[in-house]
Amino acid sequence: MSFLALTLLSPLLAGLAILAFRRASEALALAGAGLGLIGALGLLVSVSGGATVEAVLPGLPDMPLRLVAMPLTAVLAVVVATVAGFVMVYATGYMAKDPEKKRFFGTLLLFVTAMQGLVLSGDWITLLAAWEMIGFASYLLIGFWHGRAGVASAATRAFLYTRSADLGLYLGAFLLIGVAGTSEISRTLATSGTPALIAGLLLLVAAMGKSAQVPLQDWLQRAMAGPTPVSALLHSATLVAAGAILLIRVAPMLPGGALLVIGIVGGVTAVVTGLIALAERDLKRLLAASTSSQYGLMLVAVGAGAPVAALLHLIAHAAIKSSLFLGAGVFQHDRDGTAMDAVAGAGRARPGIFAGFALAALALAGIPPLAGFFSKDAIIAASLASPSAIWLLPLALVGTVLTGAYMGRALRVLWQGDPGTKSGTIPLMAAGMAALVALAVVLGAAFGPLERLLGAEMAEAGLLVPALGLGAALSGLALGWLVPVAGLLRRLLPWAERGFVVAGGMDALMVRPALAIAAGCERLEQWLYNAALSVGRATLSLGQSADRADSDGIDAAIFGLVRRTIALGSQARRLQSGFIHRELAITTIGIAVIIVALFAAPYLV
Amino acid sequence: MIFELMTALTVGALMFGTGLYGALSQTNLVMIIMGVELILAAALVNLVAFWRYLHPDEPAAQMFVLIVMLVMAVEMTVGFGIAIARFRSRGSVEMEEARELKG
Repeated sequence: MSFLALTLLSPLLAGLAILAFRRASEALALAGAGLGLIGALGLLVSVSGGATVEAVLPGLPDMPLRLVAMPLTAVLAVVVATVAGFVMVYATGYMAKDPEKKRFFGTLLLFVTAMQGLVLSGDWITLLAAWEMIGFASYLLIGFWHGRAGVASAATRAFLYTRSADLGLYLGAFLLIGVAGTSEISRTLATSGTPALIAGLLLLVAAMGKSAQVPLQDWLQRAMAGPTPVSALLHSATLVAAGAILLIRVAPMLPGGALLVIGIVGGVTAVVTGLIALAERDLKRLLAASTSSQYGLMLVAVGAGAPVAALLHLIAHAAIKSSLFLGAGVFQHDRDGTAMDAVAGAGRARPGIFAGFALAALALAGIPPLAGFFSKDAIIAASLASPSAIWLLPLALVGTVLTGAYMGRALRVLWQGDPGTKSGTIPLMAAGMAALVALAVVLGAAFGPLERLLGAEMAEAGLLVPALGLGAALSGLALGWLVPVAGLLRRLLPWAERGFVVAGGMDALMVRPALAIAAGCERLEQWLYNAALSVGRATLSLGQSADRADSDGIDAAIFGLVRRTIALGSQARRLQSGFIHRELAITTIGIAVIIVALFAAPYLV
Repeated sequence: MIFELMTALTVGALMFGTGLYGALSQTNLVMIIMGVELILAAALVNLVAFWRYLHPDEPAAQMFVLIVMLVMAVEMTVGFGIAIARFRSRGSVEMEEARELKG
């Protein structure tokens, strides 16, 4: 309970403190991330016996907010806290000269809090809230340098892509809550049959958005517009991981149909984004495409019915990808850019950083005894053992080969070329990166105990699986290092460079229909507008004519009457002269007239 | 009998003519009021004469006389009230100078 609070509240409070007090941002950020890490480790220790730590907070009626630490969520919390901690160390070096670093650290800590909230959430409401917070924080972070060209649109694009896919999460979560009658995630997982299939597919949509799966992968590469520590965090343990984490958590519920769809989406993503990465001309964008590809492999594992394999790969990938990004950030720091031409040879100028980068790259490709080897093996073993192996295994293997190929290409670019100059020493950045690389190297040893902790031992698959994995990885690396991209991809190259027209496909599938609908709506609106306007005009002219009739007819008549009456009155006034004798005389004459009339009347009738 | 009636009516007509002349020709308010009083007195004379010589048994005619006398009293009260007020404020009861009284 207290560890839960420590894990969640320390980054939150540190972030708020930075934003409120606007000083000592580095120290507060490191303290917040460090305390969060201690809390997460404490959680892991306290649940290592298989116990669960749960906090029930008052929330909606009959739907309290729950935070749950069980082995799965505690492990994920540790991963998030670890990566966040080292990225924070790195960021103190990377952002040292940025005038806006207070905003940066504050937002980054809020981002970490949101991710921990997502990981530890025990009910759908908390999960939805955390999910939205992640989206919002990532929007702020990707758009951190919002003054630069294209950054704001990249942030908006990331936000809109993930946000529109989030509809799936809402529908799926509400469907599950409606069917199960409770918002507690662990109890909704008992759902089965058609609701489970529909909910699984809806959640897959949300996960595709967040984890940048084909065809929603485009935003991730553009998200490179953010600062490098943000990319490292987004890609390894937080934003992008949210989709995979969601699927891993609901994996026990998913029926066979949903699993097959998930596996195929993941496999297709692994291959397609692998090709995109291979053709990419920018180091960070290459890494971004590779993230999509690796999350595709995780989805393959989930689809093969082995969420633990996906989790292992997620952990390994978190360490590996964050080290790769931190390395790329160093090169970017040196060369003021991450285009392949700009960073060519940058590795030779900094052999230490390059060695770390290369170790992480080899780990990602799956070379033993680095972490990626074990997790990738687990995925290949799972896809081999799954009932739909005929689909999943080739996709997983091709994905692995492509991983090797693009990492080989990146290493070659960084190594060959002019070493050039480097810009000063970077102790903090190097320290953060070194710790993550060390994790990427040794994490493999921790996988055995992890599997036991999660209660899902991987079946021994003999020599076939490691041989397949190693073969694929080595052949990929060799291809990437030795064969130029143009020769490797041949006719596919221009397609891959344009994001396989998947972006274009998105364009044709969603943007154009949306624009057409928008144009139709606009026409309809114009029509309605005109109709309303003409009705208005007709009414107005009717009103004007009524007004004219009123002023010319009725008013004129009335005022004329009034004028006549007044004139008559002023005529009659003259009779009242004020001379009493005259008025008396008039009275007398009048009476005389009346008398005469009375006397004459009988004769006149 | 008819002779007496004719004599009374003649006296009434003379009083009426005198009163009418006085009311129309005088400019002094007191004189005008006196003229009007004479007119009303002529009416009284006529009423009494008609009652006395034509319908001596009808008491209603006496009521007419009383009403006309009441009207005379009221008219005199109002008229002299105005005259006194005029005299106090302006020092004159000449009606040629009192056009503002028309309101």
